[in-house]
Amino acid sequence: MATRARVVQMEQRAATGGNALLVLVGLSITFLLIVALLGAAKSGGSLFSESNLLYVALIFYAGAGALYMGFGVTGTARYVKFASTATVIGLAANTLAVAHRWYQSGRPPFASIYEMLLSFVWTVALLTLVAEKKFGVKIIGSITMPLAVVCVILMQLLPSEVRPLVPALQSTWLHVHVTLAMLAYAACAVSFALAMMFLIQDGLKTETFLAWTSATVSAIYVAIVATRFDKGGLSVTAWDASTKSDLFLGRGMRLFVTIPDLGWLFVIAALAGLAPLALYFAGHWKKDESFLGIANRAIFIGILLQIVVLAAFALRAHDASYPSPDQDGLFPTSLAASPFLLGGMVTGIFASLLYLMLLWRREDLQGMLPSADTLDRVTYKTISIAFPLLTGMIATGAYWANRTWGSYWSWDPKETWAAITWLVYAGYLHMRITRGWRGRRAAYFAILGFGIVIFTFLGVTYLLPGLHAYA
Amino acid sequence: MAFSVLSIPKRIHKTFSNLRTGVVLLILTGIASALGTFILQRPATDPDKLARVYSPATLQWLDRLGLTDVFHTWWFLTLLGLVSLSIVLVSIDRFPNAWRFYARPYRKTDSHFRSALPNKVELPINNAEDGLNAAERGLKKSGWPVERIADAHNVTNSGSPADAAFASAGAVEPSLYSERHRFSVMAVYIVHASLLLIFAGGIIDGLFGYSGFMALQNGQTSNTIELRKGGTRQLPFAVKCNGAGQENYADGSPKRWWSRLAVVENGQQIKAKEIVVNDPLIHNGLRFYQASFGSTGKLEGLKVAVTQEAGSTAELTLAMNEPVQLDPKTTVTLAEYIPDFFIRDNQIFKKSDDPVNPAFRLQVKNTVTGEDAKLWMFPAYNPAAQGEYTKYKFDFRGMQMGYFTGLEVSHEPGQWLVWAGCLLMGAGLFVAFYLVHMRVWITAVTDARGNLVLWIGGQSNKNRDRFEQKFNELVDSIRSELEGASAIPFSAKREKPELTLAGVK
Repeated sequence: MATRARVVQMEQRAATGGNALLVLVGLSITFLLIVALLGAAKSGGSLFSESNLLYVALIFYAGAGALYMGFGVTGTARYVKFASTATVIGLAANTLAVAHRWYQSGRPPFASIYEMLLSFVWTVALLTLVAEKKFGVKIIGSITMPLAVVCVILMQLLPSEVRPLVPALQSTWLHVHVTLAMLAYAACAVSFALAMMFLIQDGLKTETFLAWTSATVSAIYVAIVATRFDKGGLSVTAWDASTKSDLFLGRGMRLFVTIPDLGWLFVIAALAGLAPLALYFAGHWKKDESFLGIANRAIFIGILLQIVVLAAFALRAHDASYPSPDQDGLFPTSLAASPFLLGGMVTGIFASLLYLMLLWRREDLQGMLPSADTLDRVTYKTISIAFPLLTGMIATGAYWANRTWGSYWSWDPKETWAAITWLVYAGYLHMRITRGWRGRRAAYFAILGFGIVIFTFLGVTYLLPGLHAYA
Repeated sequence: MAFSVLSIPKRIHKTFSNLRTGVVLLILTGIASALGTFILQRPATDPDKLARVYSPATLQWLDRLGLTDVFHTWWFLTLLGLVSLSIVLVSIDRFPNAWRFYARPYRKTDSHFRSALPNKVELPINNAEDGLNAAERGLKKSGWPVERIADAHNVTNSGSPADAAFASAGAVEPSLYSERHRFSVMAVYIVHASLLLIFAGGIIDGLFGYSGFMALQNGQTSNTIELRKGGTRQLPFAVKCNGAGQENYADGSPKRWWSRLAVVENGQQIKAKEIVVNDPLIHNGLRFYQASFGSTGKLEGLKVAVTQEAGSTAELTLAMNEPVQLDPKTTVTLAEYIPDFFIRDNQIFKKSDDPVNPAFRLQVKNTVTGEDAKLWMFPAYNPAAQGEYTKYKFDFRGMQMGYFTGLEVSHEPGQWLVWAGCLLMGAGLFVAFYLVHMRVWITAVTDARGNLVLWIGGQSNKNRDRFEQKFNELVDSIRSELEGASAIPFSAKREKPELTLAGVK
């Protein structure tokens, strides 16, 4: 009798504990919606404006992401169901935002980086739901929702006016090429998430995930320090608030300003990122498991440190003026001038959080996922969808380029990297079909492929010059 | 084994026709291409920028290794050639087997084959003919094509008693064969062939194609282009510009550039087209693209409004140094034009050639008395001309600047192979990924216990889990046909556990 009472008591406590986060997230969403409503009413603008709709989408995507993370912390399976619902509502709001923009500009949203992100987020949310319903991989949102949130946050900082199309973009081929690109990249993103899940299900050691997460975070911060550290300060692009674009010195050369002392914070963050990696190697060399425990704690501290660095950056880079090494005087900068720095930092934080979720809830995750073999096969199926889309994207891009610039292949960096991406996925298919590479090797290949996709989509635009300057 | 000279070509063949070499070549191509995006490339970069970014020593080494023009350097082209060679050799190696498989399908099973097949089911039947008929109906109901194989040749000489019985009876052993999408085994060769087609197009364009730039002023005819790689080339015909323009959006950014072009052959304008960006003029394999539009900086005419004292206003366009008759006794001439002026010591000087702050000198001449009145017009300050007295007032109305239309010209004879290759690749990929080659064999045999059974077996070349599902559906369909036809109740069905994505049920 007493045992039964105790069991009932425990169940009740679990139930209340389980409800806590749901209530919290529900209240937050309601609160934010009411604030947004009041804000819209006060400013007198339209209630269903595009930015309001996007804000609603952001709130629900963030809610979904929080619930997936909540599952990571408490292990309550019910969170995932509500997270799914939140994703659906967010997608609905996102669709309305896309429709609104389409109606306003008279064409689908493909002409600027803001519009591309809008389309990309929509596609990612849609494919997340497809993967959940069709393939039964319900937990995929834990990777794709944070990605969507990062993108929407970035969008808030980018110039969003509907700009009329320059002559080169006035073509139906634009829509075909960009649609194929969005679908292809989204399919690659989903295959990446599936490959990660395969590795979780296949029993890849948690400490290996630790090493890779730490390596990714360090790479981000080391890259920032290597390219932007300037005598203790951080070098960022100057921003012209009137034209809502970067300030240029001359043809194609951006003006940079230095935020003093901020560079040191990033150096500290880079070291903090390297610490778990160093502890991992030390633990292997000394064959001592206790190093891993310290490494895990280092990741946790690293997250807190990364949040501090992000806050410091946001506070100092937002709407302030700093001196420039290239010209005399103070020049303004803004968060909008550094979308990649922000993106990199947020990615680092999310990667670390996802690792902690894996560390604390691995068995529950493995219980929720399909078998490793299924995940392996579904990854292959996703890539067999992505590859023809990539081929179509490159072919239509070449045909369109031929009509606009008279040359179907000019070894432009974006074209070249798209071809390299295509080669990598062709390599995956060859190794799988002909050499029978399954399982781990295939998963690594798929992850590498997505890394190259990220570089092609974002890295080339901002790091390498060329004709593809539009997006 | 004795070493013989003949083995060297064989060795080369072997090296290049295996997959590992192919993948290594692909990796090298990828790395080389990446280098071509990170290192500044000569065709697209200003020489001063190159000098700024790389030290002379570095630049010298980069040039020597071909890294400043990776995509046209001999080793890159060789790499692409080796990739093509590898594709050709691998295809030659594997195609005969694939063709044999495609051209001579294995329509009849023997007992070895039957036991090795992954998907198989045995259903008890009364007699072979009824069983096969039921199976045929089942196949048709499920949408499978059916072939009846009546074959007097025994494929069943495995030595087992059941097969021997059939053999000795000399009976014609009928069976059913059903397959779909046999063509998909050829898909991979189509995909690779299409890739070679694309390369061939690129090679032809590299050898025989050319592209360049032509700037035409309004009314100008030209048949010479400045080649992108330097030098000029004469075209087989000339092109004339009969007008060009630029339309802007409300915010001033360009909306549309257009040119009215005409093809001129033997002095005759034989074809005319108004082109815009994305819509070129095509004639005899040459394409003229609207690339840009600009001002030549020359003033073609000054538009003024002329008002006589207490009289009417007329609009005139004055060209440089060309007198215009205002009335029988008076002419006005645009005598001087300074695009960007400044005044010092009461004198007007030219600051620059940018028409940002123009000055115009008008001379109003009385043809009878010879009086010459000088007027200056500074539109940035005052639209009215100021100066010596005349009974005419002149107001600035606008400047007509000379313009040129910038055309990109290209000749790409190989592009049709490239587009054909792309379409073929699309078709090939579709067949390769989405059409599954599935085969089902049905025959009446005696099982291990000596009972007559209908043996149903099937196989697919990819997507095995989906095929298993289809196979089970087919078996159920045949079962229902058999149930309808005969009264034999069914013994325990061999039930396979259904595999779904959520795990084994």
